[in-house]
Amino acid sequence: MKIIETRNLKKTYTLGKVEVNALNGVNASVEEGEFVAIMGPSGSGKSTFLNMVGMLDVPTSGKIYLNSTEITKMDEHKRVEYRLRNIGFVFQFFNLFIELTALENVMFPMMLSGHPFYKERAVELLEIVGLKARINHLPSELSGGEQQRVTIARALANQPKLLLTDEPTANLDTRTAKEIMELFIRLNKEQRQTIIVVTHNPELGAQADRIIHFRDGRVVEE
Amino acid sequence: MGLKSDLVTALFFARKDTGKNLRVFALIILAIAFATANIIIINGFMDGFSNSLVDATLDISSGHINIYPKENDRYVEGLGIKELKLDGMENVAAYSSRLYSSGTLSYNGKTKTIKIVALDPEKEHGVTKILEKIEEGGELTKENEILISYRLAEDLRARAGEEATLVFENGVSKTYRIKGIIRIGATDLDENGVIMYMNEANNALGLSGKASIIMIKLSKRELAEEYRDFLKKELGVSKVKVWSEEIEAITGFMNTVKKMTDTVIAVGLFAAAVSVGVIIYVNVIYRRRQIGIMKAVGMKSSLIFTVYLMEALLLAGVGVAAGDALGYIGTKYLETRPFYCPIIKEYISAKFYTYLLYDASIVSTAAVVVAGMYPALIASRTNIIKAIWGT
Repeated sequence: MKIIETRNLKKTYTLGKVEVNALNGVNASVEEGEFVAIMGPSGSGKSTFLNMVGMLDVPTSGKIYLNSTEITKMDEHKRVEYRLRNIGFVFQFFNLFIELTALENVMFPMMLSGHPFYKERAVELLEIVGLKARINHLPSELSGGEQQRVTIARALANQPKLLLTDEPTANLDTRTAKEIMELFIRLNKEQRQTIIVVTHNPELGAQADRIIHFRDGRVVEE
Repeated sequence: MGLKSDLVTALFFARKDTGKNLRVFALIILAIAFATANIIIINGFMDGFSNSLVDATLDISSGHINIYPKENDRYVEGLGIKELKLDGMENVAAYSSRLYSSGTLSYNGKTKTIKIVALDPEKEHGVTKILEKIEEGGELTKENEILISYRLAEDLRARAGEEATLVFENGVSKTYRIKGIIRIGATDLDENGVIMYMNEANNALGLSGKASIIMIKLSKRELAEEYRDFLKKELGVSKVKVWSEEIEAITGFMNTVKKMTDTVIAVGLFAAAVSVGVIIYVNVIYRRRQIGIMKAVGMKSSLIFTVYLMEALLLAGVGVAAGDALGYIGTKYLETRPFYCPIIKEYISAKFYTYLLYDASIVSTAAVVVAGMYPALIASRTNIIKAIWGT
C-alpha cells in the first residue's frame, strides 16, 4: 500500500525578482514499511520535497497523498493536526528544545496530542534508542549522537506513519553516524517504520530499500 | 488536542522558558513589582492626602450640612426656632451657628481690616476643631474676649492678654481682650480672622438671633444627601449645601493632582510593560529555530501564541504579587510616618485601602499582557521553513 504519493509536484520560490523552480513536476511514491533514501546534489530539491511531504510547506501545484488522503488542500489547522499524528521529523541539527530534558523533549509531541501516558511512553522510547540512563539530562549534557537519538525518539512519539529525516548523520562522527544508521534500520525492520531519509551519505543510502535520485527539481532515477 | 492538554502544554513551556534565565526573569519581575508598588503607594498617598484635605476643611469651616440665608438675604432668620428643632432631631449630632461680619482692629497705633467670625464656642466644639487651633493664650470664656489670627497678631505686634479696639462695620467701637492667637490652616482666616462670641457680635451689630450660616454635624456624614430635603422642609430653609458640595474646589484640585500622578504612574507602567515586551520579543527572536521546531512537530500557531502570552502572564503574576506586597508595605510604612503639610497645617499620611491592591493588580497585569501580545503574535507567525533552515 502506498503511504505517500506525489503527482506532478511543483514548487517555485521567488528570490528577489528571480523565480527558482525547486521542484519541477515530481512524481514519486513510497510504500508502507519501506526505507527510502533520497539522494542528489545540493539544490536538487531533496529537502524541498521532504518539506512538502512533511506538510511543512505547500506546493505551488500538484498533489500529495498521504495514506490515500490528499493533504495539499488541507487548511493550516488540519495540517498541524495531521502532521502531529502522522509525521515524525529528524533534522540535521538535532533541534532539541534546549531548556527541556531528554525525557521532556520526547514527551512534548505527546503532550500536544493529549496522549494519556506520555511520560511512560517517553521513557519507553528513550529505552528503544538506548538512552534510558540519560533521560533527565539536558541537550547540552548529551553528545551529538545522543542528541540525535533523542530527536529520533521524539519523532516516534505519536507512532507516526512516516518518519522523515534530513541529513541525520551529517553532523556526526563516523562511528556515531553508523550507530544512527543502525537505529534507523532496526526501526524499519523491527517496527516496520516507513522512513524517508534525505542524505549525501552513500553508506546510509546503501542501507535503504530504494534510492530516489533528484536533480534540478526532478526525479532522475529510482 | 483538547483545550486542557493545550493549556497544560502552554503552561509547561512558558514555565520552562521563564525559568531558563533567572537573572533576566528577576529583572522583569523587579520592573513589574516596582511599577505595581508605585501605583499602590502613589494612590494610597493621594487618598491619604485627599482625605486629610477634606477632613481639615470640614474640621475648620463646614458641617456635614450647611444652611445659608435665602437668596438676597444676608442672614438666616429665626435662628432660635431652628436651633430648637435641631436639638430634637434624630442623627443631628451637633450644630453651630456663625455670624460673619467685618470691621477693623486697632492696637498700639496700628489698624488692620478684619474678618469677624462670631460663634458659640460650646456649640462650635461639637462641629469643628477651629477653637483647638490656639497657638498662644487660651479659649474664649467671656464675651469681651476675642481670638485673633497669628498673621494679624504679627502685623499688629499684639500678644495674648493685651487689649485691642474693634470697630464693627456699623461703626460701633469696643475694646476687647485678646484671649488667644490662632493658626487655623485656612488662608483667609489666618490672614485677618477674629473670633468672638455670637451674642456679643449680634449686640454690637444691632442684630438679634441672626446667623450667616448654621453648620450641622450628623452622626454619619454619608447621611448628608438624605437629610438635605428633610432639613429644607423641617426648618423652612431654601439654600442648603452638603459637605461634598462645600469641598468641590478641593475635589477639583485633587482631580487635577490625580491626573498628574496618573500620568506619572502610566509612564512607569508603560516603561515596565515595554521592558517586558522587549525581553519577550528578544527571546522570541533568539528562539526562532526552536519555535520553528515546535511548529514542525505539531504545535498550532494559536498554542505558540498562548505559550508566550502565558509567559507574560506568569511574569505579571509573580511581578504583580511582589508589587502588591511591596506596595502594601510601603503604604503601611507611610501611614505610620505622616509629614506636616504647611498648606493645610495638618499632618498627612498615606492611607491603605484594599481596592488599591485590586486596581494595581488589574492595571499592571493588563499592561504586561498587552505588552506580551506583540512578541506572542510574532512567535505564532514564525515561518517553519525559514526558522528551521535559518533562511
